[in-house]
Amino acid sequence: MTNTALTVLEVILGLGGVIALIRVLRGPTLADRIIALDLILLILAGGFAVESVRRDSEVLTGVLIVIALVAFTGTVLVGRFIEWRDTE
Amino acid sequence: MSVIGILVMATGVGISVLAAYGLVNFPTALSRMHASTKSASLGLALIVFGAGIAGESWELVGLALLVAAFLFVTAPISGHVVGRAAYLAGQAKGLVHDDLAGARAQPARAMPTSRDFSFVRWAGLTGVWMLVWRDISLGTAVGGAVVAGLVEALRGSIDRRSALRAVGIPGFAFRYLGLLVRSNTRVAWEVLTISNAGIREAIVAVPLADRSLSAALLVANAVSFTPGTLSVELTSDPMVLYVHVLHFESVEATITDVRTIEEMAVRVLHEPTRTLSC
Repeated sequence: MTNTALTVLEVILGLGGVIALIRVLRGPTLADRIIALDLILLILAGGFAVESVRRDSEVLTGVLIVIALVAFTGTVLVGRFIEWRDTE
Repeated sequence: MSVIGILVMATGVGISVLAAYGLVNFPTALSRMHASTKSASLGLALIVFGAGIAGESWELVGLALLVAAFLFVTAPISGHVVGRAAYLAGQAKGLVHDDLAGARAQPARAMPTSRDFSFVRWAGLTGVWMLVWRDISLGTAVGGAVVAGLVEALRGSIDRRSALRAVGIPGFAFRYLGLLVRSNTRVAWEVLTISNAGIREAIVAVPLADRSLSAALLVANAVSFTPGTLSVELTSDPMVLYVHVLHFESVEATITDVRTIEEMAVRVLHEPTRTLSC
């Protein structure tokens, strides 16, 4: 029962990721793409949290923190890059 | 216990998927940022929190609080940086009203002015370290104390007036949560009804009454979580916050909204009497 519910949640999260992927592919600007990629990473982190319940282990939670950190630093870096590239 | 946990997780999953859908549905780069900044962070925080409840693991619940705190600091920052970059790169289209045009705004810089060592913060950082290692032992305590001590000794503080008032924190947190729930229901509504008719985008300059940078940062953060507003630029001298509004009505209405948040933030940061003199 619990297992099925967890699978359903993971599938829905995956769908969300695919929807966000549409925005990554369509753009039209780099800002749209990076925001969508940021969301995909956060959805991935959510998937790890769901999976850690199924496996009843906390090993995956370390990965979750790393993903959240990478998502943030990556997004800010690309934001700075857009500013540097597209102004002046 | 596990049913409650799964329900909380399902709410988080729903919010994350709505954020993704909003990202596809909203018409311009800046309006899409509203969907992802407000919803993605709450979604992930709820998923991790629900996972902690469902797994009946206090470590995971603690971790969820840590992740939530981290996201509530970082989500508005990434929204601000990318939104600002998109604006400066000329990708903000269809603005009804634009205060930032031709303003040649110099962004505020947070230069450390003083170094102060706080033992409370040091102990807190050590606690965070042990939580991340998920191991409460002498080894992690000593390791955490050394790393946290280094961080605390090397960090500079932005301004001296930024002492948090413990009295104001619960009230602020409560109202903040209210804001968060309201803005997420609003984004959800916008996304589900697929009506972009109500969207009138604008950028409004809001002069802040309080001069301290830490208050301005707190306001900018809260503004990004408020329904329909997102901070895109902050300048010092004078302290002006440029806010991107999704449903623009009038400049005055926006300024009143932000001022309410500012009063809230200032109450947490310093004595209320000080703001009256400004």
